[in-house]
Amino acid sequence: MTFAERMLRIDRRIIFLVIGLCTLIPLLYPVGLPIKISQEVRGVYDHIESLPEGSVFLLSLDFDPASKPELHPQSISLLRHAFKKNLRVIAMTLWVSGTGMADQVVTQVAREMGKESGKDYVFLGWSPGGTAVIINMGQDLYGAFPADYSGKPTKGLPVLQGVANLRDVNYAVSLGAGNPGVEAWYVFGKDKYKFELGGGCTGVMAPGLYPLLRSGQINGLIGGLRGAAEYEILIDQKGKAIAGMDAQSATHLAIIVLVIMCNLFYFSSRNRARQQGGEVA
Amino acid sequence: MIFLRRQVPLLITLITGIVFAAQYYVPHPASEQMLTSVTKWLQIIGGFALVLGVSSLFQVHAVKIRRKEAGWGYSFVLYVSMLGTIAVGFWSNGKEAVDGAMTAFGWIYNFMMVPLQGTMFAILAFFIASAAYRSFRARSREAAVLLIAAVIVMMGRVPLGEYLIPISGDLSQWILNVLNASVRRAILIGVSLGTVALSIKIIFGMERSYLGGGKE
Repeated sequence: MTFAERMLRIDRRIIFLVIGLCTLIPLLYPVGLPIKISQEVRGVYDHIESLPEGSVFLLSLDFDPASKPELHPQSISLLRHAFKKNLRVIAMTLWVSGTGMADQVVTQVAREMGKESGKDYVFLGWSPGGTAVIINMGQDLYGAFPADYSGKPTKGLPVLQGVANLRDVNYAVSLGAGNPGVEAWYVFGKDKYKFELGGGCTGVMAPGLYPLLRSGQINGLIGGLRGAAEYEILIDQKGKAIAGMDAQSATHLAIIVLVIMCNLFYFSSRNRARQQGGEVA
Repeated sequence: MIFLRRQVPLLITLITGIVFAAQYYVPHPASEQMLTSVTKWLQIIGGFALVLGVSSLFQVHAVKIRRKEAGWGYSFVLYVSMLGTIAVGFWSNGKEAVDGAMTAFGWIYNFMMVPLQGTMFAILAFFIASAAYRSFRARSREAAVLLIAAVIVMMGRVPLGEYLIPISGDLSQWILNVLNASVRRAILIGVSLGTVALSIKIIFGMERSYLGGGKE
């Protein structure tokens, strides 16, 4: 067996070790490379910036703990921005397994920004029905959520004054890790109830949402940890996303180097096999 | 019985399908009121679907445990954790925290579910890297194009890539905005047209597989 063939059959634990080190070392010794702001992320930021004080901002945290590393920093940044702008925040989730996490993030950021539940923000929690919840909220918000997550009746809450349904929402952002998520909010929400919509998603989902972005169906997209890091820069509050960018840079580079190496070894083995009249696996 | 099992569901599908497809284009208050009522039904049905799903899961795994099929131990773990979580959930009134204090249900959520799901997702990075090394080879022209595009996007999406090759950021954006978006849009339009066709077939009773294949 030649060196190239041996390298093509390398023990996968060595690859795991390389990826592990590429993640760990930058987290321990951050470099802090500059991060360029994309138009997609700026779209969401600019729209929130343009909203007058007291506008209604709906944040749907449609993800579970599996997507926490990417979408949790996005939630924190968006909530900080909305509270800083004194917007009325309505938070909720369409994912039952994400309810506890969503409650924690909303409560934590609200406390940090000195906001009061019921007056400045409300966490509606989760309601069964998936996409039907969006339609129901579009028809009658109080029918979909008669009480908030803590059990207080939603009717009469100061934060919901003048809000009867989704038509009264000035801006909605869905942070989605799958279905129901950003696409469902467009199809069942924005298209019928005519509110402005932005999106946030995991890195692997982002390419799939570009058609919505390019056609203006969503006015901005925060994609993955990179998007979260860009948003942290925009609001000038460094967090976990910026801290994680160096690790992501290193792992991306490691994978690229591995792929290039694998191809070099593959071609070398193939040429050798052709010369000997054989075939490479 | 055939009338109740076949004709009635087909009739309900036909009427509701036509009525609610038309409802979208009728902004009259009565039409909106009808939609409000029906979406409430949908939410209630959604709640029942959850019960149905859980009970079906219980049945499937109970059979596995009873017959001691391969991997029945995992089913047993699932049974114990599910029953335990449901019991603790009822005991904690479905709340993760009460007045800032974490409940037992909150403990299960924060210290079991969150780390377990996080770990499952995190180990993907290791397997993706290993799989990329083993299978991402330029065996054909198409594979080479895919490989080059992937490398550019991977470089362009991280600060180190943009630092080493400044043009990679713009190139990556172009690939995502032009090539990716147009192809995805074409796929979306195709899928949507297929969905419309399938919906029409279901509404008019040409597609009946949703009724199940039981004996008549």
